[in-house]
Amino acid sequence: MLIGPATVFVTLGLLVPIVILFRYSLNDFKAGVMMVEALTLKQYALFFTDPYFIAAFYRTLRVALIVTLLCIVLAYPLAYTLARTQSRWKNLLIMLIVLPLFVGNAVRAAGWMTLFGNKGFINVALQWLGLIDHPVRIMFTEPAVIVGILAVNLPYVVLTIQSVIEGIERAVEEAAFSLGAGPWTMFRRVMLPLATPGFVAGAIFCFILTMNAYATPVLLGGPQFVMMGPLVYTQFAVKSNWPLGAAVAFILMSATLVLTAGANLLVQRRYRR
Amino acid sequence: MARLALQQLSKQFASNIAVRDVTLDVGDGEFIVLLGPSGCGKTTTLRMIAGFVTPSSGTVRLDDRDITNLPPWKRNAGMVFQSYALFPHLTVAENVAFGLEMRRSTADIPSRVAEALRMVRLGGLEGRLPRQLSGGQQQRVALARALVIRPDVLLLDEPLSNLDAKLRETVRVEIRELQRQLGITTVMVTHDQEEALMMADRLVVMSNGEVRQVGTQRELYERPADRFVAMFVGRSNSLSGKIVGPGRFETAGGLRIACHEGAIGPAVLALRPERLALGAMAADCVNRLPGTVEFVSYLGASIDLHVRISPTDRVVVCQPNRADVRLPVEGDRIEVGWPADAAMVFAQETAPVPN
Repeated sequence: MLIGPATVFVTLGLLVPIVILFRYSLNDFKAGVMMVEALTLKQYALFFTDPYFIAAFYRTLRVALIVTLLCIVLAYPLAYTLARTQSRWKNLLIMLIVLPLFVGNAVRAAGWMTLFGNKGFINVALQWLGLIDHPVRIMFTEPAVIVGILAVNLPYVVLTIQSVIEGIERAVEEAAFSLGAGPWTMFRRVMLPLATPGFVAGAIFCFILTMNAYATPVLLGGPQFVMMGPLVYTQFAVKSNWPLGAAVAFILMSATLVLTAGANLLVQRRYRR
Repeated sequence: MARLALQQLSKQFASNIAVRDVTLDVGDGEFIVLLGPSGCGKTTTLRMIAGFVTPSSGTVRLDDRDITNLPPWKRNAGMVFQSYALFPHLTVAENVAFGLEMRRSTADIPSRVAEALRMVRLGGLEGRLPRQLSGGQQQRVALARALVIRPDVLLLDEPLSNLDAKLRETVRVEIRELQRQLGITTVMVTHDQEEALMMADRLVVMSNGEVRQVGTQRELYERPADRFVAMFVGRSNSLSGKIVGPGRFETAGGLRIACHEGAIGPAVLALRPERLALGAMAADCVNRLPGTVEFVSYLGASIDLHVRISPTDRVVVCQPNRADVRLPVEGDRIEVGWPADAAMVFAQETAPVPN
């Protein structure tokens, strides 16, 4: 009985729009008339033949993969420390990790802009130190977008991995040490396989968030650095091309789904137990 | 196999001194048990031997090597954890093989794993995962995993506390026999004195981070160094009062008791329940006190009688359960007696005493 409201909500709020969206993506688009009822794969064909769209697709994929990889590598030490600390400030530390999430993505990106701009903190500081003569271009570059998204996703990934590490008994690590495994071997042979569910969950989280990122790529990437999320918005709201927007949305959703499921399957096969 | 020597080992956590000046020599092949109530520093001492805790001062030596600052993975100490700490993602055989793989002596791993599992009577379970084993089986995998690397020293951290009472008894004997057969130097930590008495060559009684006494079972039981040891190892009746003259003790309740040594002043008299005699058996004793049986507990092999000998003093008398002796019942008036040498006298002290 209690799952009723949620089920209705998910059905109406998620499934129905998806079905409608999919139907739209099969429609045709004519300048001036906008959407024209049809049953065609024209929009999908358009997407995959236009270098502009294909570049946006690969760019998104590339950023998502880099961010996910960096995120996992950066999150693990923090998650491990957090999971193993005996400090009475532990709850405060967790609050500090969560704190950045209190600030919206757009506001945070604006914050980064004050750092990254030609007259931003980083360039001014480097010039003052005499390390550079002219401002280095940071805004509207891929690294700026990657750093921005990384900062948004890191707390989620840290907390996901941390909760899994907390479920791994500390004595298991000590057992490995006492049997002659150094820290690196212990990590490879014991921690990594045991924490894999955490790494997978964290990576999936991070990958999905990055694939669909909107505010950060728009604000830090600028008009030239087009990713899939903003592209969907542009097609719908700026170009009023609903069929193409729907198709882009579907391609984005399918790619995310297929890659996530695939990676999950691969990891599960490797660490079956 | 090796000799282990702890020299004035201490550990301080922030403002709390967990272990203070522990000095101990463990002979080659000896089974030492660190015994004490929780928080007495025994586990911290064991973890300093294992290398998980860095001592604040003092040294740990294995034969002639100083291993005080060696990380755990370079110590060759086999450890069995209270929770067993088996690798949940590895099979029984893979768990046991782990330490051998770390040593890169890959040639005879399968045969050594099989031998170790046979030793702990787990042959045939090689392919199981830890979660598919009973507690007793997991415990034996942990033991095999620690022994297969032929460690210089075997460290056991309350290895039996997660087993049920019946199983614990058998496993104690098994571990002890295995340890003797392999001649492996062993340090075990426990708070269970029965377990300690049963397994140890020598015991180390600790409280408040300090060693109170080191000795064999007989030494600890018959010549406890202080009141704490007298109370913690075996059972003791304790009567508080003072020494009023040479060989004369007076309880707080006003009873006068003849005893041996002791300096004049506040003191505690400790009496083992089985050294006390009742009724006619007490006739020859120097100390004879009339009392009332207040409580009888039938324990099978023996019977405990709680006898009030003054308004403030009550003693437990332990009598063997024999068919030919009629035992007193609750409410009986009876005489309790003991020879002067049965009483152990300790100066009154402030250290906490176990219940």
